Amino acid sequence: MVDMLIMVTINGEAKRFSIAPGDLLLDVLRREAYFGVKRGCETGECGACTVLVNGKPINSCLMFGAQAEGTEILTIEGVAPDGKLDPIQTAFLDHGAVQCGFCTPGMILSARALLAGRPDPTEAEVREALAGNFCRCTGYLKPVEAVLAAAQANREAGLSGARTKSGRSRGQARKRQ
Amino acid sequence: MNSSRSVVGKNLHKVDGYKLVTGRPAFTDDIHIPGMLYGKILPSPHAHARIKHIDTSRAKNLPGVRAVLTYKDVPRVPHTTAGQSWPEPSPYDTYLLDSKMRLVGDRVAAVAAESRAIADEALRLIEVEYEILPSILEIEVAMLEGAPVIHDEPDSTGIHDARHNVAGHILKEIGNVEEGFRESDLVIEHEYRTQRQQHCAIEPHVTISWLDSDDRLVIRTSTQVPYHTRRQVAMILQLPVGRVHVIKPRIGGGFGGKQEMVLEDICGALALATRRPVKIEYTREEEFYMARSRHPQILTIKMGFKRDGTLVANKMSVLATTGAYGSHANTVQGNTGSKVLPIYRTPNMRFECNVVYTNTPVAGAFRGYGCPQGYFAQESVMDEAAHKLGIDPVELRKKNMIRLGDIDALSAELGEGKKGLPRHIRSCGLPECLDRGAAAIDWVRKRKEYSEAALSSRRHDSHLRRGVGVACSMQGSGIAGVDWAAASLKLNEDGSFNLQVGAADLGTGADTVLAQIGAETLGVTLDKMIVYSGDTDFTPFDVGAYASSTTIISGGAVKKAAEKVRAEILRIASKMLETPADNLTCRDNMVVTKCECKKSVSMTDLAYYAMYKEKVQVMENASHWNTDSPPPFCAQFAEVEVDRETGLIRVLHLVTAVDLGVAINPMQAEGQSEGAVAQSLGYGLTEEMVLDEFGRVINPSFLDYKMLGPKDMPKLTTILVETEEPLGPYGAKSISEIPINAPAPAVANAVFHAIGVRFHRLPIRPEDVLLGLREKRAC
Amino acid sequence: MFDHIECFYRPGTLREALLLLRKLGKRGAIVAGATDIVTRADRSPRFFIDVTHLGLDFVRKNRRGCAIGAATTMMALEKSPITCRLAGGILAKAAATCGSIQNRNMATLGGNLANASPAADTAAVLLALDAQLVVDGSRRKRKIPLAEFYIGPHQTVLNGELIKEIVIPALPGGGRWGWSFQKLGRTETDIALVNAAAGLQADSRGRIKWARIALGAVGPMPLRARAAEKLLIGNALSEELLARAGEVAMGEVSPINDGRASANYRREMSAVLVRRALRECACHAGIPILD
Ligand SMILES: Cc1cc2nc3c(=O)[nH]c(=O)nc-3n(C[C@H](O)[C@H](O)[C@H](O)COP(=O)(O)OP(=O)(O)OC[C@H]3O[C@@H](n4cnc5c(N)ncnc54)[C@H](O)[C@@H]3O)c2cc1C
Ligand code: FES
Ligand code: FES
Repeated sequence: MVDMLIMVTINGEAKRFSIAPGDLLLDVLRREAYFGVKRGCETGECGACTVLVNGKPINSCLMFGAQAEGTEILTIEGVAPDGKLDPIQTAFLDHGAVQCGFCTPGMILSARALLAGRPDPTEAEVREALAGNFCRCTGYLKPVEAVLAAAQANREAGLSGARTKSGRSRGQARKRQ
Repeated sequence: MNSSRSVVGKNLHKVDGYKLVTGRPAFTDDIHIPGMLYGKILPSPHAHARIKHIDTSRAKNLPGVRAVLTYKDVPRVPHTTAGQSWPEPSPYDTYLLDSKMRLVGDRVAAVAAESRAIADEALRLIEVEYEILPSILEIEVAMLEGAPVIHDEPDSTGIHDARHNVAGHILKEIGNVEEGFRESDLVIEHEYRTQRQQHCAIEPHVTISWLDSDDRLVIRTSTQVPYHTRRQVAMILQLPVGRVHVIKPRIGGGFGGKQEMVLEDICGALALATRRPVKIEYTREEEFYMARSRHPQILTIKMGFKRDGTLVANKMSVLATTGAYGSHANTVQGNTGSKVLPIYRTPNMRFECNVVYTNTPVAGAFRGYGCPQGYFAQESVMDEAAHKLGIDPVELRKKNMIRLGDIDALSAELGEGKKGLPRHIRSCGLPECLDRGAAAIDWVRKRKEYSEAALSSRRHDSHLRRGVGVACSMQGSGIAGVDWAAASLKLNEDGSFNLQVGAADLGTGADTVLAQIGAETLGVTLDKMIVYSGDTDFTPFDVGAYASSTTIISGGAVKKAAEKVRAEILRIASKMLETPADNLTCRDNMVVTKCECKKSVSMTDLAYYAMYKEKVQVMENASHWNTDSPPPFCAQFAEVEVDRETGLIRVLHLVTAVDLGVAINPMQAEGQSEGAVAQSLGYGLTEEMVLDEFGRVINPSFLDYKMLGPKDMPKLTTILVETEEPLGPYGAKSISEIPINAPAPAVANAVFHAIGVRFHRLPIRPEDVLLGLREKRAC
Repeated sequence: MFDHIECFYRPGTLREALLLLRKLGKRGAIVAGATDIVTRADRSPRFFIDVTHLGLDFVRKNRRGCAIGAATTMMALEKSPITCRLAGGILAKAAATCGSIQNRNMATLGGNLANASPAADTAAVLLALDAQLVVDGSRRKRKIPLAEFYIGPHQTVLNGELIKEIVIPALPGGGRWGWSFQKLGRTETDIALVNAAAGLQADSRGRIKWARIALGAVGPMPLRARAAEKLLIGNALSEELLARAGEVAMGEVSPINDGRASANYRREMSAVLVRRALRECACHAGIPILD
């Protein structure tokens, strides 16, 4: 067995790892101290090991490290890099969607991929997006509510941004009158 | 409930929420320790066998292998793995390593190696010659004369009748049930069977153990019972208790599966043998073989009623298996009686059970702790009785249910492995649960509408039928006279408090709820509480997270400790503000006068004063236990749709109305309920560990052991029916277990309403539905 | 778990991949999405050859039909406008049931077929669509009808070859067309206990001219229910005919007992799914079903 080098971008940082050819991405990431990537089953069922590869959720326990060469990976550690929570994270706290928190990184990443492509998802779409993330604690209601709330918060942030802009211009217009 | 409260009763964020949503390394396995070895257990391939010969030399010689242990290398100390208070009511029938194998997956040997791959390879190199013994896989044959004896070792203790494989036996009668049946107008008797369900916490069992710089054995582990584990590991490894340090970090779910010493003893033994840090983590497959599960039961229940619905006699006989070892054998089954039968008043009750050994996966504690089995049987019969008597199922329950002021005598007979304490009902919201739950599911209208729909001849392609059903349950809140907890509180300069509790938050939100109780009592905001929990060196004793005890017992300890700290704070403030202490109160992170003078001192100023002027550490601890176990109550309603062609049951709506006392954090309480419901629906419909004829689990993966996912879950409605429990801190009882009891029978009853078929076995699989429909058509 | 792997090759051209296949022989295994490779018990290969960089992820349409690259993911099939329109979108529908989004982002069509699970969801659909596989070996290129591809559970006729693309021939023109894909699982996200795909073409009077019924998870490999298809040809649909077709199909399956379901249940469900599939085809095609 010859070790191989892979180059990946993780949470915006270029990284170079020496791995064994049969290493699974999950093991590589945890070895590199991305502990937010959890090990729940190693058979692609539970989604605790979810990371985003080029923006898409995948189970890192079913992907070889070698397959990740050249990709951009987002783990939970990269979701709030400066400590400022993503609206999904805030919504998870507001809605009591976290119990033990073991499934939470995977859920948040799945939700993030969903909202990136579908800012206004239906409840069914949220449930589909979370279908690969088993949670034994919550019964899924609160996580689903949290994702819907985060979507709304995102939209409102977008809207209110627009609103304050237009509000300001209206105010300026008034001033000019 | 009480609007004057500022922290209790509020939907505050979890105190550990931030680190969990940001994925901080907070769980057992989220550390790297230099030089850490990987431990691995060689599982027995046979259900029942004796090791005739075992040769570990090839494994030991494999480069990178640091230790190989077999029964020859470790002390032989009979013990139980059940995390219960000393002296544990479970039999001492388990050994760190043994020469006899009692289930597929039993420990043959353990290795520690430099990598996971080397450990795996080492297991393959261990040569074992077995004498294969006849095994027992079926519950019914275990007690038969001539059956193989699973525990024939002389040194095990506490087994009821080892020669007949009976781990535990209980028989209690109040009144005279046979007389009761003679007086009854309607007697219903059936046998029910429940399956082996697994906890399936998403975080598998994982333990890391090492010797610290004082050569004390440190065990960092995913456990619900750090203190019991410390005591048990010390005993098994023959160390003084003080030489063991157990740390419980964040836990990725437990549900009872971690109220059990599953890995800590063997991991500690490997750390001692190698003097290196050792980690053992179960794979998901190993979880199914080597962790715990819910006790399968065969329940025979007989209930007698008067024509008007009055329950006259209730008799339940249980034959359960604890698998190969008797972990929680007596107490789980005792609960099947003591927490199920008394929900309905009757002068005549009888509960009998035998818990037998079989060569199958070991059962143990599991959320609900014997109640889900009992309620499936009892609530099915209640539904049948209502149907036969022509009484609405809700009304029949209301007519018979236990009431405020009642004393439940059966629970006194069925204590934690011994005679317990009689249970007084000091708070009871069950009638309100039934009313509000019925309203939420639109009971009256749907009962009628769906019954009529089933009768009317519909289009021939209409294979779907709907129904609604109800079931009730109660639970306890802590084990009366047994469970106890301690808490310690310390004031810091900035007016924050270190709250140290032995209680084990395993994802239940215990840290948050305990902090809320402390903050409320001290008049501070929740962010002032720094919680540290579940560490045997740094937190005081607590029995651990089980028996729905944390809020009421650990919470009681926190409240007491906080009251003591408050008294000390008021004493100091009284000096500072020159006013009597009884004119002072704590509020908004300050101490303020009650009178009009409006003097105040901030908690920060007070802390500085205390620490640097008075030179005292404001710090108190307190212990707490209860003489009673106040039951929470619950009514659950299910609406289902049954596909009569495929047999698939879809749950459309599940309503839980639960009397939990006062909700310390309502949002978290709802979450507990919703999670319990999800597990119970799985119990009712899809979850079952299936064994083959050799005792092997044929579905040891999430692919084949089916839990419900986000797309399967029905609409959930959770109604918190608050009552004020005098024995609970701020009126709280408990929430985390009770909602798991009744969803499965509520679904079964709803399925009967939909298609007129009763089921006596869980889970209700599509094939069972089709078979039931066929049998119904035939007669 | 894969510590014995000596090298993970990521060839960038088909030629390189084929050379590696030849050089490594039985010691080399093709990896696409890896979702089956990792979870399967077979630990014999010592080399992996990644086929996801060979330009085999495409969905193309021309007059002769539709061609899909073997390395196309389930997610891409679900989203491709071509597969969403092709045959009532049943291939897209089937792809959308292959596990979670995480799985479908990795799982490929070629892997689903080559893995040769009797329950593979796209296989039943592609059987109903008369699909052919274009495979390339070091020596020769050949076209294999999917119906001749399987030789047993997890066994195919592939011999040191890789699947390049899947070709779905254009369907005969005219008439009314209807399609259906049905899957029965214990939960919403499950391996099929039974799956079924069906296609019908009817003439203007509602008589069936062309029929395909394929079933999965009810035999050692995905299969066509040819007798049931035959029963339909030349007839107008009626409830009775649908029921008979279901029963005939039930006679063509040979399921096994496993932990997921019993053989009996699977057999019975073949009839139910065939009936449902035909009903859906009729509904989509506007073919009347007589009482
Ligand atoms: C959790 C989970 C759920 C699943 N659910 C479903 C489901 O519902 N329905 C379903 O059908 N499947 C399901 N699968 C199975 C799996 O995802 C699919 O079969 C998938 O399409 C396999 O594709 P892959 O690219 O991942 O294959 P790989 O694992 O990469 O390969 C599978 C096999 O095919 C061979 N192979 C791959 N590509 C080629 C090629 N181009 N030429 C020749 N041989 C090739 C490989 O050598 C290997 O033997 C599930 C799997 C998991 C883990
Ligand atoms: S650990 Fe990867 S899906 Fe469970
Ligand atoms: S919060 Fe525990 S598994 Fe989801």
